[in-house]
Order: sequence, then structure tokens, then C-alpha cells
Amino acid sequence: MTAASAIKLAQTDNVATMVSAAEDGQAVTVNAGGDRLRIAAAENIPFGFKIAVTDISAGEQVYKYGASIGQATADIAIGTLVHVHNLAGLRAGGDTGRTG
Amino acid sequence: MSATFLGYPRSDGGAGTRNHVLVLPGGWECQQIVNMVDGTVTPTSADLGVARTRSDRETIARVHVGLALNPNVYAVVIVTGGGKINEGMLNGLHAEDPCRAAGKPVEIIDCDGWDAIAQGSRAAARLVHEASAQPRQEVDASNLQVGVKCGASDPTSGLVGNPSLGRMFDRVVEAGGTAIFSETTEVIGAEHELADRCVNPQVRKQFLDLIENHEEVARGVGQDIRTINPVPANIAAGISTLEEKSLGAVHKGGTAPIAGVLEYAERPAAPGLYFMDSSVSHVVVLPGMAGAGCNIVFFQLGGGGWSRRTLTGGQGIVAPQMWVTGNPTTAARVTGIDFSSGPAISEGRSIEEMGDKLFELVLEVASGKLARTEMLRFFDPVQYYLPGPSF
Repeated sequence: MTAASAIKLAQTDNVATMVSAAEDGQAVTVNAGGDRLRIAAAENIPFGFKIAVTDISAGEQVYKYGASIGQATADIAIGTLVHVHNLAGLRAGGDTGRTG
Repeated sequence: MSATFLGYPRSDGGAGTRNHVLVLPGGWECQQIVNMVDGTVTPTSADLGVARTRSDRETIARVHVGLALNPNVYAVVIVTGGGKINEGMLNGLHAEDPCRAAGKPVEIIDCDGWDAIAQGSRAAARLVHEASAQPRQEVDASNLQVGVKCGASDPTSGLVGNPSLGRMFDRVVEAGGTAIFSETTEVIGAEHELADRCVNPQVRKQFLDLIENHEEVARGVGQDIRTINPVPANIAAGISTLEEKSLGAVHKGGTAPIAGVLEYAERPAAPGLYFMDSSVSHVVVLPGMAGAGCNIVFFQLGGGGWSRRTLTGGQGIVAPQMWVTGNPTTAARVTGIDFSSGPAISEGRSIEEMGDKLFELVLEVASGKLARTEMLRFFDPVQYYLPGPSF
């Protein structure tokens, strides 16, 4: 099986965006500017979805485009899917008072 | 040599990419005239001022006047409803003086119902015929005024779709033209990046105040914007949070300095890149951009989480609406796409190359090539950005 591909948009990002779908266990080449790193998908991750490129602890900020896109709501292991089940936005919360 | 297109120069400045006859204010009578007479357009909106606050009625009037003064409009037919409409409803006459000052032919149809349809159609047909005698002429690309809305966003939107569109915006601004982006909610989380590009501290403050006020309004009415945006189609395609969506969305504005912050449908005073206040629906954003004078508008589509297969247009009313996408699957699946920057994903092409190709296509469409949905005589209704309560 050839490697799937993902793009990491900024140096400080801890997630990358899949530009091809990855199956559980498949190698993923993460393009990060000039650098490339190789990780393994820990589950199926569809095209366009985010893969953790490092372990992220619950409560840590998740970074994409070099900026915070919210906070991890659970521990996230490298190679797993990062989406609404383990990531929550911090802005525009209105009645929740969680606006940043 | 600087870029040019074949347009319709106007005596009050600017140049049209189209030569429409506009029927105002809209509503069922005007729609019948548009059905009858090819070459005419009208904003089909239910909002004509009834039960609206003064500020919102001013906004509706600003859209109408802005559409009338748009360089794509040759002449205007105003249907008053015979003066019977007096319950706060705008009858289109507010556009008369500005049109005359701009040197545009104006016909007033001062009756209602079938009489208005008959007389309005006759007047519109005469003006369309007159408009058809005006030849296109080579004009400078500085006459381009473009506006964009991004929607059904997916992760390709932030990766290639919006950046490619943004590159085209940069080309327009470099050519001395005007470019407008919007959607106030979809700046939340990315505002500092844009604030740093504002041309001076006043614009910067105005911009940041706008975003802050937007969040304040949500708090005031006890609404969590996060339950509204990202929408289910975004989440189904892999966008998780509003911040993530915003950080991808703002790329559609390109990289030029932000010359100013516009009210909805406010005409910019000088060329350059502008941010316009608006809610996010395309039926709201695009008419506002046409009211601000845009002579071509864009819908940058993600489409990864979307089931729709056929596109319609017309939200630019007087401005041709082009559909672009950065998602190769969307480009192959959906009918009505004018341009795909998908090769930046599927073939490793550069964003610059995609944006430059789009700019070339924009010059062609500005010169008369039809946008893919433009030949349809089917128009989705439009809605104006009216944040006040209705009574």
C-alpha cells in the first residue's frame, strides 16, 4: 500500500490535513513546507479531515494555519482523527461564556 | 501592457461587464416584467421595508440605489405601485434622482398590477433595445470590481479554493481595480491576521470593533454562533470549528492591504481591497456586493459535504455570478462550475498559477463570455442584511 498524503500548513501546527484518504495502519507522508515526516494513521481518516501529527493532551490548543482552531476535549494520540468528537471551538460561544 | 476587457464605459465613471435594464424595486409585478422582457433584471426579495426599522429601510434603499448605479446597469425602470404603497414600503422612487444624476435613462411606471406589468414591459423593452445599440469597448482592468462569498466550505476551501480566489483578488487590486470580501461571522478566530493588514489605525479599529460587536450581539440574544456555524455540510467534510473555518475563509481576500470597512451595500470611495459587513448566506452577501458596485461576483464552493449537483445563480442580480471550487471531486460532480483550482490538489499546480488562470477567465467573462449559470432564466430569491428587529 502506498503512503497517503497530508499537508501541515505551519511549523507550529499539531494537525495536518489529509489530501488523500488514509486507512487504519496506513503510512501517511506529511508535507510541512520543505520538510516531510512519516507517521502511521491510527484509524481511517477521510480526505480533507485532520490527522494529529503529535500527541495532544486534553485541554491543549489545536493549531492549524499556525493559529488556534480550538481546544482538545480529550487526549488525542498521534495518527488519530481530530474532529468535533475531540476538538471544540472557543470563540463565539454566546450564552456559554466561552468566548475568547 | 496592462490588462483590459471589453466593457461598457459609463458617463459617471466605471465600466459595465453587462448592459442590463434594472426593474425596481422588485416584487411580483417587477418579476413579471423580467419574465416578459429579455435583458432585464430585478431583485426578487420579500423585504421592501414593511415593518422594518428606519436603519433597515435605509439599507434596503441603499441596495436599490447601489444596484441602479452599478456600472452593469444601462437604464432603470421604476415601478411605484401607483402611490398606493404607503405603509413603510419602499417604492423605488428613492433611486430616481441618483440615476438621473448619473446620466442613466429612467422610466417611472406610476401604476400597479396588470397596468404596471404592461406599461413596465413596454418601457423595459424600449430601453433594452436602446441598450443593445451600445458597443463594447476596450477598457482598463481597473474597471473590475469583484466580490466573493465562500460557501459549503470544506477543507479544500482553505487549502486551495480561497487562496486561488485570493490570488485573483490580488491581481485585480494590482490592476487598480476593487475587490470586496465579507461574512463577518467567518472572520471570528482569524481577525488579527486581517487587522494587521488594515491600512491605518482607524480602519483597524473599525474592523476589530465590527467583529467584537458581532460576538456581543450573539451574547446579547443568548445565541451560540457555534451551533449555527460551521454548518452541517462543513462538519461532514472535515471542518471542526468556527476558528478553523474562518482561518481558511479569510484567504479569499488575498494579501492586499485592507483599504476600508464597508457597510452592507456601501460603495467604496476609491479602488482597493475592502471588507463588507454582512451575514454569511449567499442570498444576502452577493446582492450586497452588487449594491456596492461589483460588476462580477463569485461563489467559491467547497462542496465536499454537499449533495447538490446542479447550480443556479442570479444572486448578483446585475452582476454575473461565477462558481469556482478548489475541490476536484466537486468540480467533476457538480454542473455549473466556471473554474476549478482543484489541480492545485490533484496535480500539484501552484496557487499562483490557478489564481492567474482565474484572472484571465474573469477578463473573458467581463468581456461578455457567459458565466455557466447566467443563461438560466431562474433566479433564487435574495435577502438583504437587515439586523434590526421587525415589528
